[in-house]
Amino acid sequence: MRRFKWQQWAVLAVFVLSIVMVGVVGTRTVRRAVYWRHHRDETIRPWMSVPHIAHSYRVPPDVLYQAIGLPPGPPRDRRPLREIARQQHRDVKVLIDDLQNAITQSRLVFPPPPPPPPPGDKRP
Amino acid sequence: MSLSDYLLSLLGVYGLPVLFVVLMIGSVGIPMPATLMLIAVGSFVAQGDLNLGWTIFAASAGAIAGDNLGYLLGRWGGHRVVQTIAKWDGGKIKLEQAAEWSKRWGGIGIFLSRWLLTPLGPWLNLTSGLTNYSWPRFLFFDAIGEILWVVLYVLLGKFFSDRVQALSDLLGSLAWILIGIIVIVILGRKLVQYLRSPSAEDEERSSQPADNLVIEKDA
Repeated sequence: MRRFKWQQWAVLAVFVLSIVMVGVVGTRTVRRAVYWRHHRDETIRPWMSVPHIAHSYRVPPDVLYQAIGLPPGPPRDRRPLREIARQQHRDVKVLIDDLQNAITQSRLVFPPPPPPPPPGDKRP
Repeated sequence: MSLSDYLLSLLGVYGLPVLFVVLMIGSVGIPMPATLMLIAVGSFVAQGDLNLGWTIFAASAGAIAGDNLGYLLGRWGGHRVVQTIAKWDGGKIKLEQAAEWSKRWGGIGIFLSRWLLTPLGPWLNLTSGLTNYSWPRFLFFDAIGEILWVVLYVLLGKFFSDRVQALSDLLGSLAWILIGIIVIVILGRKLVQYLRSPSAEDEERSSQPADNLVIEKDA
C-alpha cells in the first residue's frame, strides 16, 4: 500500500467534500420533493399573472380579479402582479396578501373536491 | 424582489425577446435563472399565453448564440491565456493533452453539458474555443444538446404548470447532484489507482534481490 503525499491528501479532501455536498443537497432535494407531493400550492410570486395563480390554486379566476379590483374580462388581464401593483400604486406584497385572503375565502365557499370513494363501495 | 422575479415579470410584459436575451447571457456564464425561466414559459404555453413552437425557437436560439459567444471568447480572447500557460514548465504538453482530450471526448461533453450537466456548459464553451475544437462540430453538438434541453424543460413546465417554482428548484439541485456523483467517481478511481500502483520504495526493494544475485554470480 502506498503512502499519501500532499497531492493525494488534497484529492481525498475534495472527494470527501463532494460526498458531503451530494449527501446534503440530495437529502434536501428528496425532502422538498416529498413536501411538494403533498402540498400542491405554490408560493405566490410577483412575476405570476392572475390566471396562473388561479390555475395553481384551483380557484375561479373571477374571485381573484374581484379581490384586487380588476374587471374579470374577457379579455383576461394577463399582466404580472408586479405590473398590476405598479399601476395601482401599491406594494406588490399587499396585492399578494389580498390574493391569499381571497383564496382562503374562496376555499371556504368552494372546498376542493373530496377524494374518490374506495373501490367496492356501492352506497349511492 | 429577486432577480428571477424581475426577469420573469419582464417576460410577462415583453414576451419572447426577454427569453432570448436571458438565455444568451446565461449561456455565456453570467448567472441567470435559466431553468426557472424555461419551466415558467412552459406554464405560459400551457395557459395559451405563448406559442410552443416560437418559444422553443427563441429559447434555443438564445442559448446557442450565448454558447458560441463563449466559444469565440475562448478562441480569440484566450490567446494570452494560452501563451501564459505554454510558458509554464510542462505547460505546452498540458495544453496538447487538453486539446487531445477535447478532440476525443469534446462532442459528448458538449452535448451532455447542454441539457444534463448544465452548470458545466459555460466552462466547456470557453475550453472548446481555447483548445481550437472544430467549430462546425461544436455547433452541431451544441445545437442538438440545447434544443433537447429547451424542449425537455419547456414540456416539463407545460405539464407541471401549477408547480413551476418547486420543479425548477428540484431540477437545479439534480444537476448539481449529478456533477457531484461524477466528481466522486473520478476522484475515487484516481485514489484507488494511486494506492494500487507500486511506490518508489517498492520498486527499489524489488530490484535489490536481482542486484544481489548478479553480485553473487560474479563472486
